[in-house]
Amino acid sequence: MKKTVLLFLVFVNFAYGYSYDDLLLRAQASIFPKILLLDKKIGDKLIDGRVIYTIVYEKNDYDTALEINKFIDANYNGHFNGYTYKINLVEFSDLSSATRASVIYSLNSDRYIEKVADFAKDKGIVAFSYDIKNLKAGLLFSLVLEKSTVLYMNKENLYIQKIDFVDSLLRMVKFIDKENS
Amino acid sequence: MNCNVSYSSKFRVILPLLMCLTTLSAQSDNLIESISGEMEHFNKVATATKQNEHYQPYIISVFQGYALEKLGVSNLKEALLLVPGVDMATDNFNNQTPTFRGSNSVAYGQSKLFIDGISVNNLFFDAYSEYLSFPIEMIKRIEVVRGPGNKIDGFNAYAGSINVITYAEDFKGFESNDKLVFKYGSYDYKMGGFFKTYKTDNLKIFVDFFYQEDDKKLYAGPDGLSQGALSLLPVIDNRALSQTGDAPLWLKEYSLGASIEYKDFSLKARMLEHTKGSAYGINLALPQESDRVKLPSYYLDLGYAKEIGDFEVNINAGIKYDAFDSYSKLAPDGLNLGVIFQDGIYGEHFAAQQTLYQSSYLKYSGIDRHVITAGYRFTKEETIDMTSKLSNRATGDVELVDYTDTLPFFDKNAERNIYIFSLQDEFQFSDDISFIYGFNYEQTSYKDAGLEPRVSMVYQMDSENIFKTMYSRSHRNASWQEMFTMYNSARVGSTDLEPETVDAFEFAYIKKFSADTYLQTNLFYLLNKDQIYNSSIDPEYRNVVDTDIYGFELEYRGNLSSDDELYLNYSYVKGKSYTQDEGRSESTPNVAHHLAKGYYVYNLGSNLSLSGVVKYVGSKDRVFGDTREKVKAYSAIDSSLCYRDPKQNYSATLSIKNIFNTDITYPSAPNTYIEDYAQEGRTFLITLKKSFR
Repeated sequence: MKKTVLLFLVFVNFAYGYSYDDLLLRAQASIFPKILLLDKKIGDKLIDGRVIYTIVYEKNDYDTALEINKFIDANYNGHFNGYTYKINLVEFSDLSSATRASVIYSLNSDRYIEKVADFAKDKGIVAFSYDIKNLKAGLLFSLVLEKSTVLYMNKENLYIQKIDFVDSLLRMVKFIDKENS
Repeated sequence: MNCNVSYSSKFRVILPLLMCLTTLSAQSDNLIESISGEMEHFNKVATATKQNEHYQPYIISVFQGYALEKLGVSNLKEALLLVPGVDMATDNFNNQTPTFRGSNSVAYGQSKLFIDGISVNNLFFDAYSEYLSFPIEMIKRIEVVRGPGNKIDGFNAYAGSINVITYAEDFKGFESNDKLVFKYGSYDYKMGGFFKTYKTDNLKIFVDFFYQEDDKKLYAGPDGLSQGALSLLPVIDNRALSQTGDAPLWLKEYSLGASIEYKDFSLKARMLEHTKGSAYGINLALPQESDRVKLPSYYLDLGYAKEIGDFEVNINAGIKYDAFDSYSKLAPDGLNLGVIFQDGIYGEHFAAQQTLYQSSYLKYSGIDRHVITAGYRFTKEETIDMTSKLSNRATGDVELVDYTDTLPFFDKNAERNIYIFSLQDEFQFSDDISFIYGFNYEQTSYKDAGLEPRVSMVYQMDSENIFKTMYSRSHRNASWQEMFTMYNSARVGSTDLEPETVDAFEFAYIKKFSADTYLQTNLFYLLNKDQIYNSSIDPEYRNVVDTDIYGFELEYRGNLSSDDELYLNYSYVKGKSYTQDEGRSESTPNVAHHLAKGYYVYNLGSNLSLSGVVKYVGSKDRVFGDTREKVKAYSAIDSSLCYRDPKQNYSATLSIKNIFNTDITYPSAPNTYIEDYAQEGRTFLITLKKSFR
């Protein structure tokens, strides 16, 4: 029995990583585009007059990224409240300064989250995260299904010179910072 | 004039700006309103589907059907064996029952099973073994609450409750695909089934159906005659007639379920025809291969649900039917009971029960931070038919004689009414702290449970740390078998039985490492009073056992890499039972102090996965006076290879269960079968599924 307990603890110590909750993916795919539109400076982020909604993923998560793409298309049918949009699926390893993005949504990765955060900061765009833990690495928003549905924001990552959200959004989010979740 | 021009000019500039700002503000307001609405919708779905289980005021484990299918889990029983603190027990009927945290394995009703919200425990045993073979492919989700847990709609879960949700469940944006499934496995197991949904704007019809059978038989014996069953020692000794051989454990069953929703009205119905081999014999004599027990279960529930402003009303009424229907050879050729039964004794026992119920619940959310729920549930339970036939007791002739009126095995006039009133307040004290408190008050036409309170608190310290603490009192009413069994030397019913009660103290801490990775720790202390007990020395059921149980559970879910899934749990339980009229204490018998389970799935690609399931069940002490060695501990490993074709929407799974052919036994009661009841060794299963969008 001692061996079993030891094995359990060893597994827990080694255990890290990620998987995806279908309901949470859908909730985020449904709500994040609307949050984007609450940026008063959204007009500055249009590329060729369109919102480029970039989803970054690890190679093995391509199917998940594609499902999100389909879900957004089924929900929004080509327009985010008057703005036409295009969804851009990009592997983490292919993300570079040349990548076109009005907004970026990051699936999980144990290597590239800081790269995504730097990319968003350089471009001055909103960075959404599937997992709340990535806000500590520099991403801006995440949505969590707690007792109620909670929108988390790391205000340290809000580059107000390029992103300016309406006050009513800031009143409904729960703030976290890098030290304290 | 200039002034006028100036005003006019300014007005022409300011007005569009104001209009623009007003429009922007209106658009923002609309967006915020839309976001709030969506957040509320997803919150409702998450709460209904227990996706936000960590924030709910009870200790719950949730397993998704599709994830279990990937592991090669075949049915509800196999799924429950993955739950922390849950073990399995059986008896001479092969009336298998899950035990929760060391609960009494022969007090079947200590846990409750719900199918789509309908309680399906049968009235005869208060058990649900007929549903343990329910195929996993028909199950969308299994929610297992350990402890008295969630007291809603007037149900009392004593040690635990299992909520099985079929694919009839439907939320906007989360519709289920139709499905067709076939399975083939060891013991010539064959299964075929499907489910289908038809939907229009106001109407939804869902139907599921499955058929399955096998020819399982497992070696057993020597049977109970070797221990003196069916003997009147020292006067009459039938021990030499004891047999050893294969116990018939075959299965043949089909089920048709339907769910209809029209606007605010709903109908849920199921017909389960469950027939199985007579296992180890009603009278502990090894039965013939064709001997059988039927445990049919039917239900029909009509519902009305409506939200009106701050009020939500739920009204339900329904009928349930279940039966115990046995035809079997009860004793071997040449049995001597004063009369010699040259061709043995045959018996036909049939008892059909009906349950009628009506409940009304009103939820009010008009007070800031409070959601108050109040309502009642009325249940009328009765035996509607009973026959008792045996070979001729006077002459020993094998032909069946109707003893329904002269020597009934059961009280054919058995009936009981139960009235439950419930009141509960869900109080959101702050963003981080919520309370639920309330009570059930129950009266029956026999002994009353009375007032049973419950209070719980959930404290979310931050997004990574959640604490829960709970106190609740609950009870189990005596089962039909414990109250109304007659003319049986091993079991004597009593209508004077008080309900068993439990006071449960629970504490949980959840550490969330990420959105989908967590470690949960639960501590529990259970004070059980007036537990119902009988023995071979005094076969009358009576409230004489008090049991204190304590322990803890650890549960981890996460990944080792982006290509895998890992789930592990460990539970420890210890307890002491005190039998009042015998004045003795003992460590809780038939309880494994250590249970560890887990699975690991490695995705070899986006379409192929390899998985392993591991279960460890510790040794178990025997009941007082049973001198046999402890029930042996065992570890079993299953493995499955699963292929999924997303384009054609089909999947194929090959599973090998108990790879190392480990001996797995469930304890037999003392003075019955001297060997414990052996379970399956190594088996295989092939599953083919096709989904239709």
